[in-house]
Amino acid sequence: MEILNNLAFGFEHALTLHNLWYCAIGCMVGTLVGLLPGLGPLSTISLLLPLTYSLPTDGSLIMLAGIYYGAQYGDSVSAITMKIPHASSIVACIDGYQMTLKGKTGLALFTAGISSFIGGTVAIVVLATLAPTLGEVAFMFGPADYCALMLFGFMCVSFVTTGSLLNGLAMAFIGVLLGVVGTDVNSGIARFTLDMPFLMDGIGLISIALGCFGIAEVVKNLDSGSQLTPFNGKIKLMPTWPEFKRIIPSALRGSVIGSILGILPGGGPTIAQFAAYAIDKRFSKYKDEIGHGAIEGVAGQAAADEAAARTSFIPLMSIGIPENAVMALMMGAFIIKGVQPGPNMISEHRDLFWGLVASMWVGNVFLVILNVPLVRYWLSVFKIPFSVLFPSILFFCCIGTYSINNNLDDIFITAIFGLIGYIFMRLKLDPAPLMLGFILGPMLEENFRRAMLISRGNFNVFVNRPISATLLAMIALFIVWQLVTFYYQSRRASSEVAA
Amino acid sequence: MNNMNLVRGIVLMAVALLFGIGSLNYQIGQFSRSGPGLFPLMVSCLLFLIGLISAVRSRFVKPVPLSYNARSIFFVLLGLCGFALISQHLNMIVGIVFLVFCVSGAGTSYSVVRNLKISAGLIVVAFMFRTLLGLQLPLF
Repeated sequence: MEILNNLAFGFEHALTLHNLWYCAIGCMVGTLVGLLPGLGPLSTISLLLPLTYSLPTDGSLIMLAGIYYGAQYGDSVSAITMKIPHASSIVACIDGYQMTLKGKTGLALFTAGISSFIGGTVAIVVLATLAPTLGEVAFMFGPADYCALMLFGFMCVSFVTTGSLLNGLAMAFIGVLLGVVGTDVNSGIARFTLDMPFLMDGIGLISIALGCFGIAEVVKNLDSGSQLTPFNGKIKLMPTWPEFKRIIPSALRGSVIGSILGILPGGGPTIAQFAAYAIDKRFSKYKDEIGHGAIEGVAGQAAADEAAARTSFIPLMSIGIPENAVMALMMGAFIIKGVQPGPNMISEHRDLFWGLVASMWVGNVFLVILNVPLVRYWLSVFKIPFSVLFPSILFFCCIGTYSINNNLDDIFITAIFGLIGYIFMRLKLDPAPLMLGFILGPMLEENFRRAMLISRGNFNVFVNRPISATLLAMIALFIVWQLVTFYYQSRRASSEVAA
Repeated sequence: MNNMNLVRGIVLMAVALLFGIGSLNYQIGQFSRSGPGLFPLMVSCLLFLIGLISAVRSRFVKPVPLSYNARSIFFVLLGLCGFALISQHLNMIVGIVFLVFCVSGAGTSYSVVRNLKISAGLIVVAFMFRTLLGLQLPLF
């Protein structure tokens, strides 16, 4: 009953004219930018984050959430129609693009839209039920437990996003080191500032995000010299009743899987889609068709994608630890707006929390009623050639960086991070864990120093506390498993060479 | 030498050394009462270790050549820095024109007319930002 009360309270806030407006704009702009080649949710959010600075707190967070969902839908549209995937829409390329080849683009887009709606709705029920309870669990966490949890998060994200624990962890640590730049809160000493006054407050989140994701992505596309052929097919959106009936079970399965995987550290949309797709391929009634353009292949993953995108807010808003790079960016946005995500967020900013939860569902409705019917017009974005697009994207990167402090020097920092991001990309190092490390770094240091202070420098504190001991044991097991696999791989490789 | 895995390890170690040596300038302290240098030093050590493992491991796996194209990144960085400098000392409208003309050098084709059109469009957008969103852009 209390959930219903809370949700009603939330809708009261979300359904004000202003917030509805921000939500609608967020969804639409997010979709449009998300459609552009090379711009996934991460780059879209970092590009559009500065737009929300001048808005009131609740409006700006609602708009950002809208941008996130819009960008995800935009991603799946570009994946389905033209097979241009981003991290969050790889699976949509498989069956979605096959459906396009069969001339069923409209059906695929409708399926993706309606499945996202189903996934989002299920996830919001999970979010409303679980987030307050998890917030209470968070009070059982001491500084040592937080440290272990963050390390565990680094490990999961590193492995999931890059597939290589070593590379991912390296990026997370570089992020932590970048987070150290600035004034030390305990001693007041300026660290690694190179005597430059604008580094006293630390490196700006936006500079890193725009440099590593925006600029590096643009240069990557320039390097490959790819020219896109716009989609010119006809689109028939509405499915027939038997087709519609096939969407539901698969979407529900996907919603459940997505909701669960979204909560786990390192989880989130990417891994949820793969899991949902794999399960559909095994248990669906039409499993033989999957992979050749089946409705189920689109519905399940789209629902899981959306559900995981929403439930990944749970760890952020209840424990205060983002579990993937998008959430880390969201956390940055929360902090810029003066809201500290964590166990106290629900009690201190009750209207904001429940308003955000309710607006997620409103955002879903907008996606279905606005984006799905209008998708044929959105697709005209692809008719803009890349040679026109990329100077504009770079200009928006500049304006985005500048508008934070009205300081042109920040553009130099962004350019430097563009170069760094480019080098990392060429070395096949994924910047997503870096983002997480950068945001969590100061928290990790603070909690580590606190834990050490309490235990008088005794490292046993990490093993004596059950929560941190469990997490550290899991990390150790994982590392051992990685070592064993590497050993067997190299043995097999050397025996192949010998043969 | 042209082995991406090896270069990666070396780059990681270099970053670790940069921060690690830098952190020695600050007070380290003890674990129970840590100074500002302790935490960065610890993280740098871990990062150095990872870099070392990567470099050593590259000896055992098949070498992957490192590919890069300096042209695009050069024009893009030049455009961004030029934009910032010109906006600082002259005004942003000239900055936008410079940005567009400079970064287009990285594209596959170059067209003055097209660049002029893009510049004009972006200047209009900048004016809209200024009037509608209230951004303080030094346009002229």
